[in-house]
Amino acid sequence: MARRNANATALSERLSPFQKVYLWLVAGFILGPFIPLIIQSFAFRWAWPDLLPSTWWLEQREKSVLPLSWDYVISPYSQVWEATLNTVFIGCAVTVICLIICLPAARVLARESFRGKPAFEFFLSMPLIVPEAAIGIALLMIFIQIGLAGTYTGIIIVHLIPTIPYMIRMLTAVYQGLGRDFEEQAMILGASRWQILRMVTLPMLLPGVVAGALFTFLVSTNIFLLTFFMGQGKIITLPTLLFSKIAGGTLDASAAGITLVVTVPGIILLVVTERFIKEEAFGKGFGN
Amino acid sequence: MTAVHLKGVRKDYGNFTAISHIDLDIASGELVALLGPSGCGKTTTLRMIAGLEIPTSGQICFDGKDVSEVPVQNRNVGMVFQRYALFPHMSVEKNILFGLKVRGTDKAEAEDRLEQILDVVQLQQFRHRFPAQLSGGQMQRVAIARTLITNPSVLMMDEPLANLDTKLRGEMRRFIRNLQQRLGITTIFVTHDQIEAMELADRVAVIFNGNLAQFDEPDTLYKHPKSVEVADFMGATNVFAAQINDKTATLDFGALTFDAPSQNGTRSVMLRSEAIDLHLDEPTDVQNVFRGTIATRDFFGANITYGVTCGHETVQVTEQSRRVIDVGQDVWLTIPPERIWVIQKND
Repeated sequence: MARRNANATALSERLSPFQKVYLWLVAGFILGPFIPLIIQSFAFRWAWPDLLPSTWWLEQREKSVLPLSWDYVISPYSQVWEATLNTVFIGCAVTVICLIICLPAARVLARESFRGKPAFEFFLSMPLIVPEAAIGIALLMIFIQIGLAGTYTGIIIVHLIPTIPYMIRMLTAVYQGLGRDFEEQAMILGASRWQILRMVTLPMLLPGVVAGALFTFLVSTNIFLLTFFMGQGKIITLPTLLFSKIAGGTLDASAAGITLVVTVPGIILLVVTERFIKEEAFGKGFGN
Repeated sequence: MTAVHLKGVRKDYGNFTAISHIDLDIASGELVALLGPSGCGKTTTLRMIAGLEIPTSGQICFDGKDVSEVPVQNRNVGMVFQRYALFPHMSVEKNILFGLKVRGTDKAEAEDRLEQILDVVQLQQFRHRFPAQLSGGQMQRVAIARTLITNPSVLMMDEPLANLDTKLRGEMRRFIRNLQQRLGITTIFVTHDQIEAMELADRVAVIFNGNLAQFDEPDTLYKHPKSVEVADFMGATNVFAAQINDKTATLDFGALTFDAPSQNGTRSVMLRSEAIDLHLDEPTDVQNVFRGTIATRDFFGANITYGVTCGHETVQVTEQSRRVIDVGQDVWLTIPPERIWVIQKND
């Protein structure tokens, strides 16, 4: 660990001015959009062409205890709490189901060869190629007929469509990196299939599984169109709620607040999973 | 311990035959090497003995009992993989205890055996480390300990010395040898390196193209190969065609008398390069003298190998580098009759 830090400092010392400028540009590009959102959420009145809000919420303290938008966001009228719960629930369900489907599939794709494997792999990517609107409308027609429209089940099923291709690809790569040696060794040492899966395969796949799960969760929490179609207004998630707020074309303070809330689950997950994705986690011996 | 017998074992993968027919009798407590070039089927043979592959036909017996169909988990064998396959997410201790844990061995007994085995492999101070923090030799000792703690009836190793540097090789060779003799456990290992096979094994099984070519002690294999192919694989450099007639071999560059048993006719004669003596003056009162000119010289530190042109052939001669003879020098070569071997099988 100490050596790694030493390398990092050595690297930053060697950064040329151009590289520094470039890094700042990248940081600005990523963080930039958040700044007006934060300002907006604390503003009382912010109209064109003012560079900063003409009236801050602080100046209107007697009218509202909290910043105006935050007052709205945390009130039950905004439905933010309900939408957040829905989003997290759907995201978790999609992630778990996606893992259950993709783990065995990835194992076969990584280790076995069978007739038509290249074609099969190509078809796996099809959902990413076909426009979401086309899939969404077609499925909506079917789901209305069989009564899945406007249900959690329906939303979870459509969320699996764009997430499975990513997950399978990620897990296949991870499985390819995991030689058969380890499982065979465990077999020779007397472990049953279930013991091998629990004690050897899953822990060794964990960094890849965590990365895949994180990705699936983030994709699921950001899907708007399919959720919008299938939810039918009965089930709202953060993206659909946000859409209803900003569909008019204005970004008011409460919409800015909701947008910030939308990013929170993702940021929390990223921070938590950061250490699992890193290979050093092995050295530190997590899970033991 | 356990004697291992392979009876007419064959293994096909679809249309490809990995092993066509192998009979092998390994005595209890013996250390045997399966030697051959890559793709000859030696690893398949090892995996069949371990139970990772099921033979297409034939039998694998442990102490006379057919185990061909017994699943790996119940076969009670041990295997040390070439790259050790240590579980990276477990400490040395956890790795070693794995086999006992999955068997549900009593905790106190497992701890006892762990202490014993850690002493045997001298890894006490590394017990809490993770595989990534160990050197190659230490990883191998962990892999051996993890296997031995389950008291396997047969120990198998895949290229045990291949991943180690020269200095460590010697150390591990002695370690494996001592351990094997102390425990008296039947041990089978696979290698493509004839030196590794000879330095470690009691007997070596040479496998070519899925067939057993020869199964003998290292000394016999080196001095008395049954076929040209085996001689070649065991590093013989001087193999010449010869007409054999009653203990006399007529070669391109002269006639040699020999002691080895042989039938008459066209055979191959093997002269080990270190068995040939180089003389700067014509020797007298010696059998098997022939003339040549030094054509090449390769210096290996302790040894020098000369390529000596005799007639149309080049004879390789290796001697200790106490002297250096120049290229172009005329020399006399002699070889004692008992060091000449006639290979009966030509292929």
